[in-house]
Amino acid sequence: MDKRKDRDLLRKAGNMVSRCDRCGACLPVCPLFGVKGIEATSARGKNTIARALADGGIEPTGELLDVVNFCLLCRACVDTCPAKVPTDEAMVNVRQHLTDLAGGADGKYRLIGAILKRPGAVKAAAAALSILRRSGLNGLLPHGMAPEEYTRTHFLAAFAGPAALGQKAPPSAVTVTDRTKVAYFRGCGMEMMFPEAAAQTRDILRTTNRLVEKQNVCCGLPHLAHGLRGEFLSLARKNIRLFEEADVVVSDCASCGATLKHLSSFFADDPAWRERATTFSGKVMDLTEYLTKVGYEPRQRADAVFTYHDPCHLVRGQGITQPPRELLKAAGRFAEMKEADVCCGGAGSFHIDYPDAAAQILEKKRCNIEQTGAAVVVTGCPGCLIQLAKAAKASGGKFKAIHISQVI
Amino acid sequence: MIPEEIKQEIRAIVGPDHVLDSELNRFGYSYDASFVPLLPANKPDLVVRPLTTDEVSRIMVVACEHEIPVTPRGAASGRTGGSIPLKGGISLALDRMTRIIELDLRNMMVTAEAGVRTIDLYNHCAEKGLFFPPDPASWKFSTIGGNVAENSGGMRAVKYGVTKNYVMGLEVVLADGAILRTGGKAIKNVTGYDLTSLFTGSEGTLGVVTRALFRLIPMPKRRGTLQVMFRTLDDGCRTIHTVLQSGVVPAAAEIMDRTCLEVVSRHRKTELDPEVGACIIIEIDGDDDAALETQTKRIGEAAKACGAVAFRAARSEQEAEEIWAVRRGLSSAVAALAPNRIGEDISVPRDAFPEVVRRIAEISEKQGLPIAVYGHAGDGNLHPSILCDLSKPGEMERVHQAVDDIFAAALSVGGTLSGEHGIGITKRPYIASALGDIGVRTLKAIKAALDPKGILNPGKIW
Repeated sequence: MDKRKDRDLLRKAGNMVSRCDRCGACLPVCPLFGVKGIEATSARGKNTIARALADGGIEPTGELLDVVNFCLLCRACVDTCPAKVPTDEAMVNVRQHLTDLAGGADGKYRLIGAILKRPGAVKAAAAALSILRRSGLNGLLPHGMAPEEYTRTHFLAAFAGPAALGQKAPPSAVTVTDRTKVAYFRGCGMEMMFPEAAAQTRDILRTTNRLVEKQNVCCGLPHLAHGLRGEFLSLARKNIRLFEEADVVVSDCASCGATLKHLSSFFADDPAWRERATTFSGKVMDLTEYLTKVGYEPRQRADAVFTYHDPCHLVRGQGITQPPRELLKAAGRFAEMKEADVCCGGAGSFHIDYPDAAAQILEKKRCNIEQTGAAVVVTGCPGCLIQLAKAAKASGGKFKAIHISQVI
Repeated sequence: MIPEEIKQEIRAIVGPDHVLDSELNRFGYSYDASFVPLLPANKPDLVVRPLTTDEVSRIMVVACEHEIPVTPRGAASGRTGGSIPLKGGISLALDRMTRIIELDLRNMMVTAEAGVRTIDLYNHCAEKGLFFPPDPASWKFSTIGGNVAENSGGMRAVKYGVTKNYVMGLEVVLADGAILRTGGKAIKNVTGYDLTSLFTGSEGTLGVVTRALFRLIPMPKRRGTLQVMFRTLDDGCRTIHTVLQSGVVPAAAEIMDRTCLEVVSRHRKTELDPEVGACIIIEIDGDDDAALETQTKRIGEAAKACGAVAFRAARSEQEAEEIWAVRRGLSSAVAALAPNRIGEDISVPRDAFPEVVRRIAEISEKQGLPIAVYGHAGDGNLHPSILCDLSKPGEMERVHQAVDDIFAAALSVGGTLSGEHGIGITKRPYIASALGDIGVRTLKAIKAALDPKGILNPGKIW
């Protein structure tokens, strides 16, 4: 256990949240505060608790771990905050700090027992990790079906969710010509849960350019989100090396895309990798971003009304809102839903760790979708798609949930 | 500490889900948006979240019997520590009481529970063409009960007044649990003491406001937003003064200094003209475009005569909203400039505004502390923000001296300690210098009559 590094993470989190002046602007936009109404579930509450922890005013207990875990990392608060306090980054740092404490040799922390007791506390078990490292697993779930329920094991074996990604990633500056070497980033979630959609993405990409096939590893986001930063960095290095010959790396998963676009910031202090990571991040594009850039026309125009759900990692992670909407308008009729950019409650493994809160958030989403009268809700993130599939079921067939590559 | 059997009694009233007593949940209710230090935490022993007035009343009966301190709380967005449970006891969170009971179109009045967010009340009335003017900068998250208890102001006070100008009646749970109803829909009403006014701005020390009746006015048909840049704050102040003297009353007239503008441009990643030292943002309203044009023209002339360097009229609602978002977020953005920010809320007669701004600049120089200045130039209420690092040796003393000097400056020009934030904890040491001994004695007499056991929000105001 590296004590110095451990204090460093907490100090960093402390510095971030010390900019919070507790005004309360985040209260109405935090989806979790929206369903719970209790201060400690709000961004302000979590930031203030993190600040008190960093200042030595409160102890690292199991309750504290619950508080920092109970965050969607959706960044709705960051967007609204007058001081732009990065709640999500601070929460990830505190999670890492607490995990390090629990894993440390020093037995004085009461946290250890608490972590072992709590479901979802240490959110990525070693067994699941070994599976995660080999990405591209198939056959665990029936082919092409949007699964409605998952066990925790299934989920961890497949992928977990959001982590802090800092500010919106800038759009890729790469110019695409017919000689551009385009690679597809195989996301664990897409491959595991939605292999048909992933296949569609590859088909679409092939119509635009020569496709470079690579067997990439996980983007590392689940590891980062749940206190396994070392694993995350090691996966990142593998991917950077693997895609060195590609000019463009396209992702059809909002979370993978956002993670990959932000890799450069994680290697800022590493002279050996800084430049390689920056080059890599600069060539990552979301599927819709890439397709808009190459002037892609949907293969068919459906006689259906689409509505669109903004994944947190696209709207706030990458600043992408228009490309998917433009594509959908070209592929059918389009109806905007209310609060399209509010988190669906999926948030990686959040919906498994906190099913009640996630269900309450999803219920609001379902109402907003139904109000549009759309037959299909489209999104660009497997995590959201799982939630939206549940909402579709709850709606009694009023709408379906589909990945964007399957309708364009 | 509250004994378990009393906690059980309270759980039976509001339901076990709405009583919180874990360590971190109590910590979550120990602070507000003031600069009262977070640590050591002023934790309540119990957080209670009632849904109805009846529940509030029954909680107060229990609290009164056992002499448990009770501190009412809305969104804890207050700037003076009003909702901080200084003496522990119960934090009475009213944020579940979110019903808008009635919108009476014929009388143009609305009745709402304490936990309704200010913006929700505004929108509810606006849908029917009615206007609820009080708009504290925190209106998107503050709750109406807190607005009444603190008698909140806002940007539009210059033309439309503050919260108390709209409160027609209140439902208040008294210290012993009795439910008092004051005022009513009759516009003229001099029956007995004006209890509505007494409880408005009483900071939760006299009773718990659970419901309020507000009068509304017709919604202005057109609105416009102007942004004018100046070399100095003085030029900006003079412009506002000239405009008001010319008979144009803007709905809002806000001023901000160079420090504030730098924060804004940093956030927006824009370049700030080095010549610019101050900015005023003005909202105008009226019946039609012609009315707005006349006002714009007159304001433009006044600004030009006072040396404005740039004049911009928002061309769309979105542009106007962007300009106002900057102003609303200013307090928190300025706070992020330094490890500590001591924000004040002095209020002076309108014509003394430039003078007090000059004196604050002198205080800043004398103490060697940056003081950002912004505020409601149209109504004389300004928010000097002392930017400091209290961990530096000697800084605390300099800050205290600066605060003393700011208050002295305000009082010497005929002003007062607080325009819209209340006294709470942070301005308590200065209350006697503002009100005098007889003034404070009178406050205490009222408090003793209504809350003889001193259980309601103890430790506040004096």
